[in-house]
Amino acid sequence: MILLSAVAVLLAGAVLSLALARRPRASLALSSLAVLVGSSLAVAAAAQALGGVSAPAWSVQWALPLGTASLSMDGLSAWFVLTIGVVSAAVAIYCPRYMAAEIAHGSPHVFGAMLCVLVATMLLLVCANDAVLFLLAWELMSLAAFFLVIYEHRRPEVRRGAWMYLVATHLGTALFVLPLFGLLVARTGGSLSFASFASAAASADPHWLTLVFFLGLVGFGTKAGFMPMHVWLPSAHPAAPTPVSALLSGVVIKTGIYGILRLLTWLPPLPSGCGMALLLAGAVSGVMGVLYALAQHDLKRLLAYHSVENIGIIALGIGIGMLGQRAGHPALSAIGYAGALLHVLNHAVFKGLLFLSAGAVIQATGTGHIDRLGGLARRTPINALLFLIAAVSICGLPPFNGFISEWLIYGALFRGAFALSGHGAAAAVVALTSLAVMGGLALACFAKVFGVVFLGESRDSSLSARATPAAMAIGMGILATLCILLGIVPAVPLSLSGPGASVLVPGGPADLDMALRAVLAPAGSLTLMAALLIIISLALWLILRLLPATRNQVLASAPAPATWGCGYPFPTPRMQYTSSSFAWSLVSAFRGFLWPRRHLHAPVGPFPAPASLATHTDDAAEVDLFGPLFRATSRLAGMIRNLSWSGQPVVQGASPDVDQPAGPALTTFRRAVRAIRRGSIQICLTYIVLCLLIVFVIEAIAEPGGPENPPPLGPASAPATMPSTADGGAQP
Amino acid sequence: MTPALRAMLVIPEAAIVLALPPLLLSVIARTKAWFAGRVGPPWLQPYYDLLKLVRKGVVHSRTTTWVFRMGPIVNLAAMLTALTLIPVLTSTSLLGFSGDLILVAYLFALGRMLTVLAAMDTGSSFEGMGAAREVTFATMAEPALFLSLAALAISTRTLRLDQMIDGSLALAWASIGPALLLVVGALVVVLLTECSRIPVDDPATHLELTMIHEVMVLDHSGPEFALITYGAALKFMLLGSILLHTAFPHIDLLDGWPVIFIVPLRIGALLALAAFVGTIESTMARLRLSRVPLLQAAATVLAGLAVLLVLLRRTT
Repeated sequence: MILLSAVAVLLAGAVLSLALARRPRASLALSSLAVLVGSSLAVAAAAQALGGVSAPAWSVQWALPLGTASLSMDGLSAWFVLTIGVVSAAVAIYCPRYMAAEIAHGSPHVFGAMLCVLVATMLLLVCANDAVLFLLAWELMSLAAFFLVIYEHRRPEVRRGAWMYLVATHLGTALFVLPLFGLLVARTGGSLSFASFASAAASADPHWLTLVFFLGLVGFGTKAGFMPMHVWLPSAHPAAPTPVSALLSGVVIKTGIYGILRLLTWLPPLPSGCGMALLLAGAVSGVMGVLYALAQHDLKRLLAYHSVENIGIIALGIGIGMLGQRAGHPALSAIGYAGALLHVLNHAVFKGLLFLSAGAVIQATGTGHIDRLGGLARRTPINALLFLIAAVSICGLPPFNGFISEWLIYGALFRGAFALSGHGAAAAVVALTSLAVMGGLALACFAKVFGVVFLGESRDSSLSARATPAAMAIGMGILATLCILLGIVPAVPLSLSGPGASVLVPGGPADLDMALRAVLAPAGSLTLMAALLIIISLALWLILRLLPATRNQVLASAPAPATWGCGYPFPTPRMQYTSSSFAWSLVSAFRGFLWPRRHLHAPVGPFPAPASLATHTDDAAEVDLFGPLFRATSRLAGMIRNLSWSGQPVVQGASPDVDQPAGPALTTFRRAVRAIRRGSIQICLTYIVLCLLIVFVIEAIAEPGGPENPPPLGPASAPATMPSTADGGAQP
Repeated sequence: MTPALRAMLVIPEAAIVLALPPLLLSVIARTKAWFAGRVGPPWLQPYYDLLKLVRKGVVHSRTTTWVFRMGPIVNLAAMLTALTLIPVLTSTSLLGFSGDLILVAYLFALGRMLTVLAAMDTGSSFEGMGAAREVTFATMAEPALFLSLAALAISTRTLRLDQMIDGSLALAWASIGPALLLVVGALVVVLLTECSRIPVDDPATHLELTMIHEVMVLDHSGPEFALITYGAALKFMLLGSILLHTAFPHIDLLDGWPVIFIVPLRIGALLALAAFVGTIESTMARLRLSRVPLLQAAATVLAGLAVLLVLLRRTT
């Protein structure tokens, strides 16, 4: 019930925000308040569900024209609701003060309304228990995110990024997610509820299971951002306003992960090839994601590639969980899934913090280009501290939260190397190595980002740096506090992820209990280690302060000198290492994967002359795979456009029905095609309405007695249809 | 060893372990001097140096912030925390738990991150260069370290570092000795990389363009530089202990022998390792910086082969 009230508050906020179109600040404040209240209620609902018994908390059913809309919250849904709620609440506190500076760039009332709609549809999505509600919420979430990304619609790169996002999400949904649900519904014989999916898929043959899994992997993976379907992420995240980037990276891509996990709860233990494919996808996304991040010069684009990397880490956890399930090791799969779930929350928290902090930097200085920034730790110290906390967390360093989830996934991978045999153990070791490489590269990348942006001297003295406003700092502070607390006291998040892991690993209660206790066992030691680290640091700091030499009055009163440059008398800030130079040795070491390009204009002659050096790395998936694919498709479409229906090429612009007699149907069809080519909105809308009307008419005629559209089946009638599908499935 | 005896010995053991690292640096210096035909500095020179640094004042550049002051502190704190998880003079660590090997690796990474950030904080191109090189070579060494740890973990089927490299590894040496030899080779390269020794880095050079670790800490002075020097020595001792316990776990089988014999044996082993590193430093030149990744790739291949052998051995 609390969740429904959260959704109601959000929808009310959306409507009221639209009503306040004339007063942008009030509209933003109202929608942010609605998001804050809604997410707090969602967190409360999730806490209630996670703290309670393992049975589903509640379910609400009401009938829609197509299928029923049933919601339920089990451990898995509750975990994702918690993630969504926490990040949305922090973003809601940050949002009004940030968007106050961006009011002139777009429509704030639409922004506020779509923000509420986005959070509401995500909450509905993760609690949906019915295929139609799931797909409805999925589509609405994608559309709401599109309208949020395209806020600054006057800039062409924003339009391009939003368009790429829209195309990617719809291709993923139409080509993969819909056929996936189609296969599942065909298997259950027409039932649309998730419970019937689980019972129907239990007896399926491995080929069907593999097909279904790969449809889900690619379809949900497009939303999640696996390589090579990740191409929309680096364009859409920088294009969107900062609160939207934080939400996109923090929670929207996690709905793709939720889709994969929910799919796994319906299917029996999959063939080990599926688990290894997921491990491979995770390793490739992780390592290539962080390599591309190293090569970026734009702050938000770099953070977007890091999201790809962390999705890869989550996939490693899920993959090893799947392998453990297949091999019959509940402890192994529990630890793998718990690690993946914990990383979902941890990544949402620290990536949200990183984006919010980067947004504060961009708003304070006016640019997101790393090589023009520098020295911000002195001018915006609070923002620097928050970014440092998030950077240390994302590198997975103790004592913050990133370490805990990576530690769990490492533990699962090591245990996989022990317990699995042959290919499984080898895959676990390869995944382990890739995780280690990812950790090292992420450390290099964030040392680069934090060092170049916040430390040293400013490389472009024309940039000002205003201090971070308090409202933004408070929103970020909540996430930073969570980073620290989740890392120092891991027992709490570990025990909360237990119910989610137990949904994914259906085993006997004794097995699962032992598995979860194995997950929780070292939590106390981790807290002890974190406390030890902090206490020793404080003790050393105190010793340094109390040493007689450092309390020397003479030194303290002397003016601080400049950094020693080995005697060079005219140092300038431009002599510092830039982000490209810092990353160059790693990027060139991996140039077989990255193909970086150097544009060098060297000075000619003995005297100083203008010179420039720029490095640039294209995303291989974009320029090698999808770019040529889409260009070929549009060329094909263009070729089809230029052919008449008789196969003869036609001159552009000539009307096709001058010399060929055509009946009314063909004429109407040609007129429709011409209207669509011309882009006349009214004609297109008319044809859409006509098509919908025709579909509804067919439905209405077919309902009463049609065998192809039986009334929705409950779980009781599922066994009645199973024998026939089993017979059908047994035939080759 | 009874728990009561163990508890009583914690304080003296901690005192010896904390006092030992500068002696290892001194052994390396004396070994290099012997190869060069010199007498070398006094045995206790590193201790005199640390004492001198602690008595000096500290100078901070106006470009630096609190990150610069925090770097040496968190680096040493990370090393000291890792000390409680690594067995140095005994066969069990102080606070070990299952999965602590990952914590040890990431504590080293934490120390490295903060040192690199302190270097970037100075706004000098020298430190930036050192920081860039350090993160590159450390990233290349990570897979070698983790694959070595994986080989050890799979052969002893435990995730506790002190249990991984104690007497049960002696049995593994009897059955998969060649694989463990490869692991020792990979760990030697990891030790040389992480502790900035030749052939990866030259700790005795005066030319900034040829430095990695030295140039990263160029701007630190006084007590902070003492913390850094001691932290580097402690890191050498920790990684050296892991290497020695992997190479000679048979010492742990001497459980019946009195402590008065085991502890000097282990200290002697550490000093011998320091002499070995001094020998490497005296007989090799530092590699060209573009070739260092090849060395680490070789170490990764060695460790990968070791894991392969261990996995194959397990199935046969």
